[in-house]
Amino acid sequence: MVATYTFRPLLVKLVPKVRLKGLTLAGTIMVLFTVFLAILAPILTPYDPTKSVDLSLQPPSWKHPFGTNKVGQDMWSRTVYGARTILAVVFLSTIVSIVIGVPLGLVSGYVGGILDRVLAMIMDAMYAFPGLILAIAIAAALGPGIINTAVSIAIVYVPTYFRMVRAQTLSIKEQLYVEAARAIGAKPLTILTRYVFPNVVSVIAVVFTLSVADVVLTEAALSFFGLSVPAPTPDWGFDLKAGHPYLLSGYWWLITFPGLMIMILAVGFTFIGEGVAEYLGAREVKI
Amino acid sequence: MADPLLNIKNLKTYYFTESGIVKAVDDVTLGIRRGELLGLVGESGSGKSTLGLSIIRLIPPPGKIIDGSVLLDNIDLMSISEKELRRIRGRRIGMIFQDPLTCLDPLRRIEDQMVETVMVHMDVERDEAREMAAKALERVGISGDRLKDYPHQLSGGMRQRAMIAMATMLHPELLIADEPTTALDVIVQSRIMDLLEDLKESMKMSILLITHDLALVIERADRVAVMYAGELCEVGTSEQISQDPLHPYTKLLLESIPDVEAPKTKLKSIPGNPPDMRNPPSGCRFWPRCPYAKDICKQTPPKFAELNGRIVRCHLYGGGKS
Amino acid sequence: MASLKAFIIARVLALIPTVLILITLVFFVMRVLPGDPVIAIVGMKAPPERVIELKKELGLMDEAGNPIPLPIQYLNYLSKLARGDFGRSLIWGKRPVLVEIMEHFPATVELAIAGFIVSIILGLLLGSLGGWMGGKTSSAVKTYGAITYALFIPWIGMLLQLFFAVWLGILPVAGRIDTGLEPPTITGLYLIDSVITGRWDSFISALRHITLPALTLGLVISGVFTRVTRTSVEEVMRQDFVVAARARGIPEHKILLHVLKNSFVPILTMMGLQLALLMTGAVLTETTFSWPGMGTFLLERIQYRDYTTVQGTVVFFAIIVSLVNLIVDICYAYIDPRIRY
Repeated sequence: MVATYTFRPLLVKLVPKVRLKGLTLAGTIMVLFTVFLAILAPILTPYDPTKSVDLSLQPPSWKHPFGTNKVGQDMWSRTVYGARTILAVVFLSTIVSIVIGVPLGLVSGYVGGILDRVLAMIMDAMYAFPGLILAIAIAAALGPGIINTAVSIAIVYVPTYFRMVRAQTLSIKEQLYVEAARAIGAKPLTILTRYVFPNVVSVIAVVFTLSVADVVLTEAALSFFGLSVPAPTPDWGFDLKAGHPYLLSGYWWLITFPGLMIMILAVGFTFIGEGVAEYLGAREVKI
Repeated sequence: MADPLLNIKNLKTYYFTESGIVKAVDDVTLGIRRGELLGLVGESGSGKSTLGLSIIRLIPPPGKIIDGSVLLDNIDLMSISEKELRRIRGRRIGMIFQDPLTCLDPLRRIEDQMVETVMVHMDVERDEAREMAAKALERVGISGDRLKDYPHQLSGGMRQRAMIAMATMLHPELLIADEPTTALDVIVQSRIMDLLEDLKESMKMSILLITHDLALVIERADRVAVMYAGELCEVGTSEQISQDPLHPYTKLLLESIPDVEAPKTKLKSIPGNPPDMRNPPSGCRFWPRCPYAKDICKQTPPKFAELNGRIVRCHLYGGGKS
Repeated sequence: MASLKAFIIARVLALIPTVLILITLVFFVMRVLPGDPVIAIVGMKAPPERVIELKKELGLMDEAGNPIPLPIQYLNYLSKLARGDFGRSLIWGKRPVLVEIMEHFPATVELAIAGFIVSIILGLLLGSLGGWMGGKTSSAVKTYGAITYALFIPWIGMLLQLFFAVWLGILPVAGRIDTGLEPPTITGLYLIDSVITGRWDSFISALRHITLPALTLGLVISGVFTRVTRTSVEEVMRQDFVVAARARGIPEHKILLHVLKNSFVPILTMMGLQLALLMTGAVLTETTFSWPGMGTFLLERIQYRDYTTVQGTVVFFAIIVSLVNLIVDICYAYIDPRIRY
């Protein structure tokens, strides 16, 4: 794949001015709703999501608004607590992607030469590869757990951060004030941390906004495949999978609510990303 | 008016943007005579290109033609159906633009684009259409076998020639040329202008030359119309405009032309900036930059006045009375 | 056209490092990451001779029982791959991995093509509609694109199963074809094979089975295509040649065709880039509909800790993705004469 690095550095500075209206507003509400569920989970739920609390496979009722599953766990509690799992994985994997991708992108773009070409080639190859399949392979090798899941997803998104940060670094490197700093003998590390990095922060924010919906869907997929957190931790993708066999008998509530939550979170993030992308006027920003 | 081909009457084209209404063409009345080269001059943003596009109703949204008529032999182009108008575009009125590269479909050969145009307008076979295309190309000085080329394979000057060939292939009565030479270097520019003048003579075609370049217009045009902030200021023959300009804006424009004969004289530029078209000045739109501005200019918009067969819109010439 | 040939050669050469990088990545992901695959497969309490046997099978030990250093393991793996040897499965008769992959590959291809067709129809129709009409239509199409892009495939699949298979009962809930109706294998694609051999009962059954999976996959992928088509058409619409064509009296339907042709280059590129999405989507769709393709196969073998097969399948995915990207690039060069020069 021929890499296309076409980011407009100037526009990146405008990100904070993205207006909260239309889709962006709707998306923000959807994401905040999920965050709200995650934070207030203990208050919102009467039951322990990991314990069997009633008869199995009860349809929604006042006692169990989302019904119960095959082991008699309360689906409302599991759905609310599921927000915690997915948000934790999304948060952790983003941190890991940034911690690996950003320094690599900075150094690669700044140092240039063979190192840059080799890294860029590796990252391009990874970028073109189906992320979920890579994540599945890594998750399968690592085994279940929140940290392991986060790492599996993080590795998939390292190239995304790397490419953008590298492109930004390349353009900042050519700026006059960086040239000037070099001319007065500033060390590369100083230039990178003092001059280049601050300009890269907004790029990181943009990449995060535009890729976080994919991260959510990847977590849901790994969890759906049973490669994420181990049972009985409440996790939407896992609950969706667990409810699937009962679909034929018409137990619709088992799959409806976890899936709906995945959609709310993913669509919410997409809407926010859409607003940001539109503001950047960046058809070129391909994540 | 002597033998008019096209009559623009009280034409108003506004752009309804999010930040306000831009009156890009505001109450313009102008006639184009048969076989003449009429130059339409103005700064960028004066509405001259909008006027050109309005004639064949190709104003992109959020622009809209609000009012007025454009008569071509008593057919009002503003009120006929889109279908009828389409038969006039390309056939009776041709148009060429500033950047010939972006005006040609990059993915199709010159031939395909020309043949398509012929076949849309005339009931001919493909071979005949191809022959007409080849002839049209040769008429503008390009060898017929360049028909097989893609636009990017031609040089800038050749592309503009190809555009001209395409626009004049069906012998239109009027050619609207919107900054046809701006993107070209000076030598190519004058050759293209020579070509346009030749075509005008040989095809007995009228040309509306839209440009910001007053020197070019004075050199080439039969008559000149000067436009400022969506309005016409002055219309006259090239001699009248160059020797005896009436409107202060025309005078200033003339002074800003570099004089090759006397290179030492200081080049003047017009003070101030073109107005914000969403919120133009009251009265005469030129008064904030006009060295002769009086109180009346700030309050009342001037009207057209006839002066020895010329028309000018300025309070200095009694524009307020009529 | 000589330059098109040169372009193809250059692109093929550029493909080699890409594939090599992915193979290497997969190899080291499977070996270097924490956790001992051998223990994971046979369990902590396995007898030592079983462990040694397995290590030999995995290429971790030579016949004499000495451990092979990692770089040598890697080179051995590469040289085997170059000869088309993907190794043997660790379970069930230890069949060659490539043979097993090829048994499942046609199902994935069939599903991917069907989903792709659905998404192209939806994407091109809605996208060009939005781009051509502009205004409110464009906004509505944009929202459609954003929502469908973020849909979780298994959930959409399950809702369709619930509605069409369980409640209405008009379509099968899962699988690829009714048992016993499989057509003779020619291409491996049931729909095509049944047409070639004139087995209309097979064709109907295969079509009924593929409808919901293809719809699910197509709907989700269509979001991206809609977005790309819309922005691309909008971009081309803004170009001067559209106005110039109108100024020559070219009718709108012809202009639309030219606009679409010009929009097609970026759409095609983006479609090539979306192959990854298509593969991801296919894996999720397959597992939702018990579709016997590569995705279902991969996840089943992960459950059984069949590491050679998992590794082989992922490498196979890498090769396929790179090859299709290559083909897309060549199509791109063929359509747009400018990029050949």
